[in-house]
Amino acid sequence: MSGGPPKALPSTGPHSLRDMPHPLAGSSSEEAVGGDSTPSPDLLMARSFGDKDLILPNGGTPAGTSSPASSSSLLNRLQLDDDIDGETRDLFVTVDDPKKHVCTMETYITYRITTKSTRVEFDLPEYSVRRRYQDFDWLRNKLEESQPTHLIPPLPEKFVVKGVVDRFSEEFVETRRKALDKFLKRITDHPVLSFNEHFNVFLTAKDLNAYKKQGMALLTRVGESVKHVTGGYKLRSRPLEFAAIGDYLDTFALKLGTIDRIAQRIIKEEIEYLVELREYGPVYSTWSALEGELAQPLEGVSACIGNCSTALEELTDDMTEDFLPVLREYILYSDSMKNVLKKRDQVQAEYEAKLEAVALRKEDRPKVPADVEKCQDRMECFNADLKADMERWQNNKRQDFRQLLMGMADKNIQYYEKCLMAWESIIPLLQEKQEAK
Amino acid sequence: MEQAHTEPERQLLPAPLEPLGLPDAALETAAGEEAEGDLEEGSEDCTMKENNFWLKKIEISVSEAEKRTGRNAMNMQETYTAYLIETRSVEHIDGQSVLTDSLWRRYSEFELLRNYLLVFYPHIVVPPLPEKRAEFVWHKLSADNMDPDFVERRRIGLENFLLRVASHPILCRDKIFYLFLTQEGNWKETVNETGFQLKADSRLKALNATFRVKNPDKRFTDLKHYSDELQSVISHLLRVRARVADRLYGVYKVHGNYGRVFSEWSAIEKEMGDGLQSAGHHMDVYASSIDDILEDEEHYADQLKEYLFYAEALRAVCRKHELMQYDLEMAAQDLASKKQQCEELATGTVRTFSLKGMTTKLFGQETPEQREARIKVLEEQIREGEEQLKSKNLEGREFVKNAWADIERFKEQKNHDLKEALISYAVMQISMCKKGIQVWTNAKECFSKM
Repeated sequence: MSGGPPKALPSTGPHSLRDMPHPLAGSSSEEAVGGDSTPSPDLLMARSFGDKDLILPNGGTPAGTSSPASSSSLLNRLQLDDDIDGETRDLFVTVDDPKKHVCTMETYITYRITTKSTRVEFDLPEYSVRRRYQDFDWLRNKLEESQPTHLIPPLPEKFVVKGVVDRFSEEFVETRRKALDKFLKRITDHPVLSFNEHFNVFLTAKDLNAYKKQGMALLTRVGESVKHVTGGYKLRSRPLEFAAIGDYLDTFALKLGTIDRIAQRIIKEEIEYLVELREYGPVYSTWSALEGELAQPLEGVSACIGNCSTALEELTDDMTEDFLPVLREYILYSDSMKNVLKKRDQVQAEYEAKLEAVALRKEDRPKVPADVEKCQDRMECFNADLKADMERWQNNKRQDFRQLLMGMADKNIQYYEKCLMAWESIIPLLQEKQEAK
Repeated sequence: MEQAHTEPERQLLPAPLEPLGLPDAALETAAGEEAEGDLEEGSEDCTMKENNFWLKKIEISVSEAEKRTGRNAMNMQETYTAYLIETRSVEHIDGQSVLTDSLWRRYSEFELLRNYLLVFYPHIVVPPLPEKRAEFVWHKLSADNMDPDFVERRRIGLENFLLRVASHPILCRDKIFYLFLTQEGNWKETVNETGFQLKADSRLKALNATFRVKNPDKRFTDLKHYSDELQSVISHLLRVRARVADRLYGVYKVHGNYGRVFSEWSAIEKEMGDGLQSAGHHMDVYASSIDDILEDEEHYADQLKEYLFYAEALRAVCRKHELMQYDLEMAAQDLASKKQQCEELATGTVRTFSLKGMTTKLFGQETPEQREARIKVLEEQIREGEEQLKSKNLEGREFVKNAWADIERFKEQKNHDLKEALISYAVMQISMCKKGIQVWTNAKECFSKM
């Protein structure tokens, strides 16, 4: 508009375009498209990751950082020294290559388990077997049975409750594969569990079913004895440290549940936003068909919105596949840990009951009968194992959540970067002087 | 210059006869050009020109809005909003501005002004007013006319309207417009004295013409279709945009919940606590950033709305053309039939049915004197008719020429403004993306310290 009343362009916004710095002005202003005052994410990454613990590929967690201080536990002699940089690791397990099997009775997926090890417990340096979810479930049960004093990592959920998810969809299978891989890696990293016989068979046996049918495998002394602890002993009070752990787990599970709900809600809102965007973009196209000089700019805006929609879809897919499952895993983890705590309580209760019974009998001298001694042993082992595992668990949890949350931040950053690129690229198109009339 | 009482600036000069009033490009006569003499300077600014009320460059602003109560036409208490219009003249030399006029007007007076302009400048695409009621609202916006945000956006819209009128080469010279800005009391009476309400074409007449016109200028027909489609597509766009805004609001706000839960979680953690806590704070920042973002976007919506309403103004010009064309066609038809009647009377042949002819057959022929008299009457009518047709023809062509000139001006303006609007929208989106990147980068850094 030439020379009208000297007010800025008759635009309705309080920020007349003349007040805003020109998008291509490349000034130090934050508004400028060219100038970018925020450090690039890559730089940040390098800065913050300086000396922190390694994040291994495939989401595996590095071995626990500190050895438990106590050495009184009978089983401690089996513990290898946990090393920080993984140099002396001698067992590597990977889950990959999902395949669908169609049989007359059923259809199912198997995963390839690849094991590399220099441990003497393994006859060959390398193994490759195929396992299905059932087999993992079996393994977990066996581990719980045979190592009741330890925290067994959780498996991904057996059935998918939410929505009508296709068991054989690529996303579902991939999500499950990652979780199963995590499961095995956690066992691999555990100084006791990784030597478990069932674990070994799981990794190596050609025919797992035959082994399963063999019935009871060799149980450790502790395992068997713990199995025989009947309930019914009432614990007077949990020792402070275990009470603290119990409280912590309760609150932890609660908070995770809340975060899970929030994350789901966000994804839901984002999907609804996406639906509207998918209608919004094309309207600009429709308009563009009516216009002459404005046709290209409008079409450009339409395409831009389309790109943002695609970026948003990628974000929601990622969050659904990578973020939610890990949260749920940890909720399951803390549930199973609470069960182990309860079992510990049982063992302590039994010991205290027997001790009390002895004290009442008064016949025996200060010499404590053998079975009470056994109970005491059992209890102390349990306590030590649990404490050690808890510490390891805390460290891994910290790693896992740091990685998880940073991943979430990353995905959002990538989403915004994609959108930014789309919008920045059409500014020149919009400003182009149209010669065609 | 008394523009209020005369037909807008057109001096009609004789032009070659054109019986059926078909638009004829060859007839761009000197008459037409000369008639435009007044407007020919075509300057956008209302600076020192003759026939102009503005001796100096002016600045117009609608600077304030105020709630008022008063009694309306039915003597009932009502609450309304009044807007302060300030006019400043700018000294050329030092650029200082001096307040020359300041008065309060309410929305209904703006409407009155616009209706007046529509009647007296039917060939101009008259700038639209901001909407009467809030439409295309998304849930957070109030649809209440008294809501401060609505009032604020309306204030800006009204200012925009005045600026548009003031920068229009023809409209800015209108006396009523001048008085609107300068004469607080009695303005309503002055407008009504122009008799513009009586001059207004009836809706029914216009509708009738639209259906029955035979040879409208194709450009106007096309333009009418364009304005219909423009209206439809911008409406759709605004509706969907409102829904998009709603959803986006939801996404951002839910993130605020992270702030609270991270804070609660951090209470039970040792090493992770600080990182979680500070990340939670960034989530709160993220959630609250959407309010400003969406407020900015409302201005974009307002820019689109202006052109939504402009589409209606375009259609009004097309309708006027159809009306004039129809009028012309009817007048030509009427003239033709009269001529035919005259001819029949003169030659004694009756080809067309007429009541007179019928009664003649039934009750006997009329006398030669009677017939002579009738012929004379008809001839007089035909002469008048021809005069009228000539002037209607000229009027019609003038209208088409002037209207099309303004339409071309409007098209330029529209293309320019909408491009600017799209650019500012893109800039808004860029800003939003950058804010998002910033917040999540900060959060990521907090997480990394967990």
